[in-house]
Amino acid sequence: MFLTAQKYPQLVRLSYELRLDILNLIYSSGGGHIGGSLSSLDLIIATYFSDIFKNNHFVLSAGHICPALYVTLAKKGYFPKSKLNTYTELGSILQGHVSTDVPGVEYSSGALGQGLSFSCGLALGDRNHQTVCLTSDGEHQEGQVWEAAMFANKYKLGNLINIVDHNKYQIDGSVADIMPLDDLAAKYIRFGWTVTVIDGHDFNQICSAFEKARDSDYPNCIIANTILGKGIPTMQYDYHYHDVKALPETIYHRAKADFESIIKKMDPTYDFTA
Amino acid sequence: MTSPLKSIRASFGQTLVTLAKTNTNLYVVSIDLKSSLFLTEFAKKFPHRFIECGVAENNAAGVAAGLAKTGKTVFLASFACFSPAINWAVINQSICQNDLDVKIVGSHAGLMSGDLGASHQMLEDIALMRTLPNMEVFAPLDASETELIVKTIAHSHHPAYLRLVRPESPDTHLTKKFTIGKSLVIQSGTKITVCGYGPILTQLLDPKYQNDHLEIINCSSLKPLDDKVILKSLKKTGRLLVIEDHQQNGGLGDALAHLVLKQNLRVKFQHLAVNNQFGQSGKDYHQLWNYYGLGPAFINDAIKKLLPSSHS
Repeated sequence: MFLTAQKYPQLVRLSYELRLDILNLIYSSGGGHIGGSLSSLDLIIATYFSDIFKNNHFVLSAGHICPALYVTLAKKGYFPKSKLNTYTELGSILQGHVSTDVPGVEYSSGALGQGLSFSCGLALGDRNHQTVCLTSDGEHQEGQVWEAAMFANKYKLGNLINIVDHNKYQIDGSVADIMPLDDLAAKYIRFGWTVTVIDGHDFNQICSAFEKARDSDYPNCIIANTILGKGIPTMQYDYHYHDVKALPETIYHRAKADFESIIKKMDPTYDFTA
Repeated sequence: MTSPLKSIRASFGQTLVTLAKTNTNLYVVSIDLKSSLFLTEFAKKFPHRFIECGVAENNAAGVAAGLAKTGKTVFLASFACFSPAINWAVINQSICQNDLDVKIVGSHAGLMSGDLGASHQMLEDIALMRTLPNMEVFAPLDASETELIVKTIAHSHHPAYLRLVRPESPDTHLTKKFTIGKSLVIQSGTKITVCGYGPILTQLLDPKYQNDHLEIINCSSLKPLDDKVILKSLKKTGRLLVIEDHQQNGGLGDALAHLVLKQNLRVKFQHLAVNNQFGQSGKDYHQLWNYYGLGPAFINDAIKKLLPSSHS
């Protein structure tokens, strides 16, 4: 399917607005996992704003990319946007890895490879709703992911959707160098899943895959080809931006200006101080 | 006192069947040890609430957590050497950090696994479990206390660990009522406080120990511990003997030593536990307890060290 003339521009605009929020959040807190936050953001936006799933569960298995989830939940109204600048502060609900202290979050994570199993349990215990899990490609090196893949097939969890943020990088380098996953789609197919491979920054493709998954009787894997650091050219495809300790001033101001100018073109009334 | 032998594991499985008849939210997540955990009847009677994960402890712990998130009470059943040993990090994050209603049931704990050898004689489970925030830890004395503990923790809505053993053991029926965080004084005495958990403590029920020297406390609620009852006893006796089928490191002895130091008490201390070694196969667990310093001769020796005038 193709998104409507109203929905598509709404999602695209959110994609820039929330990229700016991630940038500000990580700049003001002095660091964070920016690369995967930017690669996964469009997938999270589509999950929360496409209205394809109704009252679905969402499990962020790759807990380190929580900035993308935090800005989305703030936009969705789960907590005030002003809280975003408390990211990683002592006592803040916005921990460095996602936790259930955040309104709207169902699963505390951080150690990779565990979220798909948790999602299997959710999907089995609540067959009436979709369970959407977001995993990274690197975490597929954990054996537990494949234990969960077997389980989902055995219990025919047609309401389970695993979105793989396939940005092809992990903390120490490229996935292909560290431990190649080879043909991830073929592996999931062999495990009995329905697989859809998409461009993870194209909302038409994302939402089309979501609809297909929603209507499927088998566990669903959406392999979303994404770009690490998407939207900030100096960061793209560079694993050194998996996380940053401090965002260089020049990169920050350049990216901020870029995002703001695009957002202004889309929505001249947008309030950047809000 | 001689008690008939009864299976703690069987008591566990039967109690779950009883509970599941009225509690339709009760689920079992199995790791291919259904028959060993006496869950065959449960699986037969409640097939939709019996989830078989195969030999995959990490996934099983995650599935249990996800099910619990949907409002189920989940018993995750395996051997202690696999769960919580293999899946500790999943128990930490997916179950404890998320504070979910999953009961980790680890059978075949301790040297009591007998001929199975070191890999199946889990001696570190209490240490692994008692360090986790949100986790409560229980080790029943016998089959009848197992029933009471299972019925109690099925209503707690938080993570818990239940330590079971392989062979049949004396069913003392000493515990009439189980309360989380409460210890039962099995025998009152004035000279030595004896603390322990699980069937190994029943060695102290031998008639030769029935005297007014020994105050025997069943610490089946290992976390939370009954500080009040234990401290009251220690203030009276000033002597502590801890016996456990577990490593010295990280077990009940460590917990009680910490309690004593924190209270600035002066207490003479003997600790019968496995001393930084792995187990091995043996004819039966009595042979192994004797070999590793946990049998009657060592109990007598520890009592003498604490109370040189004792003739027990």
